[in-house]
Amino acid sequence: MEAKSKLEKFIVTLLLVLGGISVSLPFIWMILSSFKTEREVLQIPPTLFPQNPTFQNYLELFQSLNFDVYLRNTLIIVFFSMIGLLLNTMAGYGFGKFEFRGKEIWFMVVLVTMMLPGQITMIPTYLILNEMGLTNTMTGIVLPGLIVAFNIFLIRQFMVTVPDDLIEAARLDGAGEIYIFFKLIIPLAKPILSVQVILTFIASWNSFLWPLIIANDQRLYTLSVGLSLLQDQYATNYGLQMAGSAIMVIPILIIFMIFQKYLVEGFNVSGIK
Amino acid sequence: MKNKVALFIGLIAVVLLLMAGCSSGDDENTIKVWTMNNSMEDFVTKYEEENDVSVEVQVIPWGEVKDKFLTAIASGEGPDVVQVGTTGVPEYADAGMFMDLSDYISEYENFNPDNFYEGAIGTTEYEGETIGVPFHVDTRVLFYRTDILADVGYPEGPKNWDEMVDASRQLAERGDDQYAIDLPRDDPQYPFMLAWQHGWNYNEDEGASNFEDPKFLEAMSKYETFYQEGLSQLEEGKELVQAFSDGSKPMFFSGPWDIKTIIDGAPEIEDQWDVRVMPEQDTNRSMIGGSHFGVFHNSEKVEQSLDFINWLADADTQLEWYKDVNELPANLEAWEDPILADDPKFSVFGEQLESTEVLPMITEYTEMSEELLNYMEEVYRGGADLESTLEDYRTKVTDILSE
Amino acid sequence: MTRWKYKLMPLFFIGPAVLLLMVFSFAPIFLSLGISFTDLTLIGLADWSKINFIGIENFVKLFKDKVFLESIFNTFFYVLIGVPLAVSSSLVIALLLSMVGKWLSSTFRLIFYMPSVTNIVAIAVVWGFLYNQQYGLFNYLLSLINIQSIPWLEDPLVAKFSLIILAIWKSNGVSMLIFLAALQSIPKVYYEAADIDGANRWQKFFKITLPSMSFATFFVTVTTVIGWLQFFEEPFVMTDGGPLNGTNSMALYIYQRGFEYNDFGYAAAASFVLFIIVIVATIVQFRFRKKDQTL
Repeated sequence: MEAKSKLEKFIVTLLLVLGGISVSLPFIWMILSSFKTEREVLQIPPTLFPQNPTFQNYLELFQSLNFDVYLRNTLIIVFFSMIGLLLNTMAGYGFGKFEFRGKEIWFMVVLVTMMLPGQITMIPTYLILNEMGLTNTMTGIVLPGLIVAFNIFLIRQFMVTVPDDLIEAARLDGAGEIYIFFKLIIPLAKPILSVQVILTFIASWNSFLWPLIIANDQRLYTLSVGLSLLQDQYATNYGLQMAGSAIMVIPILIIFMIFQKYLVEGFNVSGIK
Repeated sequence: MKNKVALFIGLIAVVLLLMAGCSSGDDENTIKVWTMNNSMEDFVTKYEEENDVSVEVQVIPWGEVKDKFLTAIASGEGPDVVQVGTTGVPEYADAGMFMDLSDYISEYENFNPDNFYEGAIGTTEYEGETIGVPFHVDTRVLFYRTDILADVGYPEGPKNWDEMVDASRQLAERGDDQYAIDLPRDDPQYPFMLAWQHGWNYNEDEGASNFEDPKFLEAMSKYETFYQEGLSQLEEGKELVQAFSDGSKPMFFSGPWDIKTIIDGAPEIEDQWDVRVMPEQDTNRSMIGGSHFGVFHNSEKVEQSLDFINWLADADTQLEWYKDVNELPANLEAWEDPILADDPKFSVFGEQLESTEVLPMITEYTEMSEELLNYMEEVYRGGADLESTLEDYRTKVTDILSE
Repeated sequence: MTRWKYKLMPLFFIGPAVLLLMVFSFAPIFLSLGISFTDLTLIGLADWSKINFIGIENFVKLFKDKVFLESIFNTFFYVLIGVPLAVSSSLVIALLLSMVGKWLSSTFRLIFYMPSVTNIVAIAVVWGFLYNQQYGLFNYLLSLINIQSIPWLEDPLVAKFSLIILAIWKSNGVSMLIFLAALQSIPKVYYEAADIDGANRWQKFFKITLPSMSFATFFVTVTTVIGWLQFFEEPFVMTDGGPLNGTNSMALYIYQRGFEYNDFGYAAAASFVLFIIVIVATIVQFRFRKKDQTL
């Protein structure tokens, strides 16, 4: 649906620009604040551009953080979350494109896990992990977050729109189920999977609670946990926090820019019907 | 396809190897310590060198201490030594998180209760047990602008609550958007301090009827006055340092950390502010906060743990800690050092620490104090009648205590 | 393919995910349900013999608890006002983005997604300033057109709307991406066929675009309703439920009871009330969809 006339294009662009400015201001403010002194951060009315730009916050960040350890742990979690994404995709495909007994019930089971606030299941989940002897291990940190009902649901929603004929045709050509999944379904699902990769990356990149709860050893902490250690009980160091968030956000933006191009790769089924 | 599978398996193998490399040493000479301060890791190296012990410090962010403690209590999997904030003591002690240290007090020279502020010791005792040894302390005092308070006749700050009210009324009359003080609206400790200063006291045996005391009513009506007359701003206004610096809020109650905040944040008023002990009515009692170090209930390294705590409790250690991170020592001897005794601002905290009260050491205190804030909000914001609201509050307290 | 193999295939696809979910997400729900019938507090957590079974006492108490009832009311308020606004505004953004050229579209996609990756503390500080009654930007702008200052966060009713605006601003990015992915999935041939039939743009929008996106719309609506029923972070960082309990939500109340007062039994009971509400809301939505969608 491209805009037609010049006027239309102008109005649409204007709306986007206005919306864009108002939406991105806090983000810009966050980045610029990381170069401000502690006092300037909280000034009312706030300044947009730092009056006396300083790198102090970044220096402090790099001096007081075990970046190498935290980064490695974070990357391990990101890696496993991508395996989790594969499992989620398989499950979404299974729910979307197969008929089997108890399907509705199993799908409800998946959905139900989205419905209870996380805090309330934290202690039971911890106790289960503890019984399994998984506390203080990377496995224990990774496992509970591997499967995300939200992702299964989203992928299933997409899979339902994939025409059955397409899969049947492949089966008639003698393709195996696993081949169909990897070679036909995954390429088809690129737009939705790119959204998933972005969301999964962000969630695991920011993972905070489980690494903290499960680890009885600082060597298992992640970047977000490390950053929160710089926080005092009473005095919130805003400049430092903004610098920390600014650093954390860079990889997210890179991933976003890489994967968003797949977002626009259309659903090419015109040759089939 | 095959290549991809191989690559995938290879990656998993690498990751698993990385994970295996993480297992930690757990020998006789290692003690695990949970603390909330990021500086502790470097701080203990001195102890490690002197004693040939390895202290494995795990820093827990302040906001997540509770989650971490809960899971440790539920699973019985904890460290050897644990730092605990004073306000958390009743809840965690009630759940049996700490080993009782009563029998060891005479064994270690630095455990002697006489070494510490009375209030600090008060918060280490729960139902006849001693759950830890005081490490750092904090309390609240009055921060005020000397120049502005001099203009209304109180160059040394108001000494008691009558002077406080008088000064405040004059200060608020300076014009629009001018207030006297920034009362800590979200601090559940504040109403209790105000009540202590009016001669009220919480007696554990009396429960809800504590709050029938006319002195409590008097304190709360003063609380109400400050909002009703616009002496303290009801809305979220300017940021604290800014308002203090431009004089629109020339007084506030706070703890030692704000000395640095003001020095760094408002250098332009360097000689125009000071701190003083709490205004007196019946007493000038403030609260006592801070932290202790205790031994986790099922630690197998009791001796090593106690030895480490003994080191932490030492006056020199606590003084070094103060120099490092500005947290005030609980050890009285440390306060004799000129670095504290001669500091015009920090010595005020030392003076105030002599006059503190221990917050009720009951598990229900958190809920009780938070609810008081809510009920008082009904009064100063919702316009409810003070006396009948306090009556409702007593019903609520009865309810909380009976659970 | 043999029949048994075909029967096992679904198991292969959904098995691993469902198994992990059962252990780490579903089982804890049952444990919590059990907890809601007890008086579990910290002390019970340490020593299980001190946990007492108290039947439905927690639930009875809940429905006499004024604060809890207020938080239910607030939560419904958030959902009824917030969900339609959130879903429609993210749909509109996605449509606008699909109408401009490639370069503009990809730039603005990133920009509209930014709030989702902005640090929550930064959000709280900036919005705290925007909403500041005395010095805030919003009231300053309003004063330029002679409108009296609005107590954005100081009045129980106004504060609810303020938090809704903030939450929409913050959460739109994800829904927008999902709508965009769905828009891209509409086969171009549909539009080409419509062009041949001489359909105008509105006809194309209502006859092709909207129906083709019903799966995405359904997904976004269901998850948005679930998300708003669990509204937590915004009141937590901005108002802590105040003023006068006016912005307290069920999820925040559960957090306060469980993690501030250690009243786990009571908090679990409250979370089950929320749980039931979420399930009912979801089932109702699935029922309404049933006609043009199989499960």
